[in-house]
Amino acid sequence: MNAMALEAIGLSKRFGGLLAVNNVSFAVPHGTLTALIVPNGAGKTTLFNLITNLYRPDAGDVRFYGESIASLSPGRIAGLGLVRTFQSARIFPGMTTLENALVGAHRHVHAGPLSQMAWLASARREESALVARAEALLELVGLAPFRSSPATELPMGAQKLLEVVRALMARPRLLLLDEPAAGLNDSETAELSALLRAVRANGITVVVVEHNMSLVMGVADEVVVLDAGAVLAHGVPAEIQRDLRVIEAYIGQNAETH
Amino acid sequence: MGEAAQIVIGGLLQGSVFAMVALGFSLVFRVTGAINLTQGAFCIIGALSMYSLQEVFGWPIALAAVGAAAAVAVTGLVIGAAVFVPALSRLPVSGMLIMTAGLLTLVEGLALLIWGSQPYALPPFSGEAPVELFGVRVTTQGFWIAAVAAAVMLGLWLLLTRTTMGKAMRACAENPTAARLMGIDVPRATLLSFALAALIGGLGGIVVGPITSLQFDTGRFFTIYGFVAVAIGGLGSFVGAVVGGLLLGVVEQIAAGYVSSLFANSLAFGLLLVVLLWRPSGLFSSGPQRRTDVRDEHRIYPPIVRLRGRGAAAAGVAAVIALAVLPMMVSSASIMSSLVITGILFIGLLGLDLLMGYTGQVSLGQAGFMAIGGYAAAILATNYDWSPLAAMGAGIVLSVACAIVLSLFTMRLRGHYLALATLAFGLLVDSFTVGLTNVTGGPSGLVGIPSFSIGSIAFDTSEKMYYFVLALMVVLVLLLLGGVRLGFGRALQAVRTDQTAAAALGINVARHKLIVLAISAALASISGSLYAFYFHFLSPEMVGTPRSLELIAMLVLGGEGTLVGPLFGAAILTLLPTVFQPLAAYKTFATGALLVLAVRYLPGGIFGATFDRLRRLFTARAAARIAPVAGQAS
Repeated sequence: MNAMALEAIGLSKRFGGLLAVNNVSFAVPHGTLTALIVPNGAGKTTLFNLITNLYRPDAGDVRFYGESIASLSPGRIAGLGLVRTFQSARIFPGMTTLENALVGAHRHVHAGPLSQMAWLASARREESALVARAEALLELVGLAPFRSSPATELPMGAQKLLEVVRALMARPRLLLLDEPAAGLNDSETAELSALLRAVRANGITVVVVEHNMSLVMGVADEVVVLDAGAVLAHGVPAEIQRDLRVIEAYIGQNAETH
Repeated sequence: MGEAAQIVIGGLLQGSVFAMVALGFSLVFRVTGAINLTQGAFCIIGALSMYSLQEVFGWPIALAAVGAAAAVAVTGLVIGAAVFVPALSRLPVSGMLIMTAGLLTLVEGLALLIWGSQPYALPPFSGEAPVELFGVRVTTQGFWIAAVAAAVMLGLWLLLTRTTMGKAMRACAENPTAARLMGIDVPRATLLSFALAALIGGLGGIVVGPITSLQFDTGRFFTIYGFVAVAIGGLGSFVGAVVGGLLLGVVEQIAAGYVSSLFANSLAFGLLLVVLLWRPSGLFSSGPQRRTDVRDEHRIYPPIVRLRGRGAAAAGVAAVIALAVLPMMVSSASIMSSLVITGILFIGLLGLDLLMGYTGQVSLGQAGFMAIGGYAAAILATNYDWSPLAAMGAGIVLSVACAIVLSLFTMRLRGHYLALATLAFGLLVDSFTVGLTNVTGGPSGLVGIPSFSIGSIAFDTSEKMYYFVLALMVVLVLLLLGGVRLGFGRALQAVRTDQTAAAALGINVARHKLIVLAISAALASISGSLYAFYFHFLSPEMVGTPRSLELIAMLVLGGEGTLVGPLFGAAILTLLPTVFQPLAAYKTFATGALLVLAVRYLPGGIFGATFDRLRRLFTARAAARIAPVAGQAS
């Protein structure tokens, strides 16, 4: 519990004249569910892209279980077990729901292209084990009936759940979810909360960026509030709810200039 | 000194025409985001119309020039209104590229039907006598070229910056949706830009006609050089187009004048590869940084056809049996030979489908690998007495090595730039097969290549070759089917549609691209060597860039991402000209028309469409079960 799963240390990123992320530091303890609350346009997605190195930070470092990942490629980072989702569900078109889920298991496919080409039994056995796991996860989120339909035909909410399932198929150590509740209706949001609790119960650390306060306050162990690219508050949900600055950033007019 | 000046002036003149074609590219690209490969064909339409009006109908030169320009503008309007503009909203960028390759072929076919295949030369506008200028002799036509090019550049600049229509066009380029909301008729502005680009190309053709030899397919040359010029300058940049065109012309002429024309071609395409590696967006690009966390283009991907289950296995066995008995029903030697060629090309197409259909990597230079494999095998077997099998193996090794080197250039490229780099690769190989006369036999080809054999078994008749190719096809299809049905295939499809999301799941995108490129190079290489062994002859045009385009036509017509579909495309495009021999003149036109129609109306090709029809027939009930879900979406 005391090891830090993810640490952001003084991250900064500038786009032209805009300081999108300004000296942001926070730490996510292993096994917790941490929510990042960031108003729109305040550097949320940029922060995510910095953590998974889609953007190179201008300053600062990212550590994953103590190891610096700031210079690793997105693929390597995923290989270490830090798997993310995207704000707009990026499921793969042209593939079925089940196949989309299976893509997530890519780093656990050990049969190489050659043994797959040779139709080796070992490759097929491995495949059926993955299929079984994918079907179990799809069952859990209620997508099992649509396993063979093209994933792009699913409604938005279902696509976002599928993306979470796909990320889980990668057996991540840390799951980074970019607004998983955006576009979900109330019942889908409830399913998502249940899924996130189940994920945490399985020892997977979760970081969620979210606007949906009921989801955040309901499931998060810790909350980090960012505004104007910098950390504004950090604490347990009850503290954050009382924090005046947070209320100001969200409701009152934003008087801060940096 | 005089000679150097002469060469530079020649280069600038040549370059002015490249620049005009490049301006056309940039104009269409700016307004639509698509590359229009038809651009060069408009030069030829302009020049040959000029010839007809002037020489056949006896019109005075000025009138003929206006008439020819009008003819090109009308052609541009018709093609734009009937095909290009309607397709824009329905096809992804790569689909547009392939469709315009089809249009290029179609227009060439049209030119072939109207003007035949003989070369033409236009008379110079103001007589043959050159003018002495500061001790350098310049053809009077040079002044016409320079003047028209300058007028076109000035006119385009004035149009875009000083007129409402020009502003509307620029608005379409920046943001078509917003432009539409502001009341701009986007399709009209698009059509106008397309026709205007055609007119610019046509003017280029008209003025350069007197100093170039013109044939129905010279348009390819203008398209390619214009494309290279625009890529060197930066897609969408008008200054870049002009500078790129002039630079390309001068570099070409200097290299040709002082070294050799082989070197000139290689240098031009090598220059392009270096620019793509060093500054992938060209020398003058000013585009904004692309966001990688947002999907770069929304496009409709045809569903991938999956061949699995008992039904597929049974159909496969039936198909193999049918193919095995087919030769017994064929009595004509030429049809038998076409069948063998179909099979040989299909082997190359398998690799291209894996590369383009499954992994989404456009390759306009696949025949380059056929050439490398074909020439390596043919030379080793003919001149060094290697056994054909060993020679073929050496060809594969060489092709794969070239693929690895090529991937250093193409690894980070996407979309147009990837297409361009592969095109440059194909053209580079072309320039070697044509230019290294003492190794490859040059344009007249390599003769006396032995038949293919394995040990003491020689495949020296069409029948024997047919069964060998069929057996090889079956083995390769099984291997690739195995390769695409599990994790490897899924990773390829993920790379095809969304590289960022694929990488975020731990898929090594670069590695998968490299593996697929290597496999496709090996298969193209096998195809090229079998082609040489079967014909006992190999010439550059058998495995040149037109072949690359034909392979794409076969792939798209048969069905991308279906593995076996391209067999239908190969069969149609190979057999039809043989069966309908008297209509052979229509082949180019028909190939182009079929490609355009397939890209536009048959996203899964013939095979995909048939498969889809059958599947819908059988799964109508399953579809009914999905329907309620769609209703849930809020």
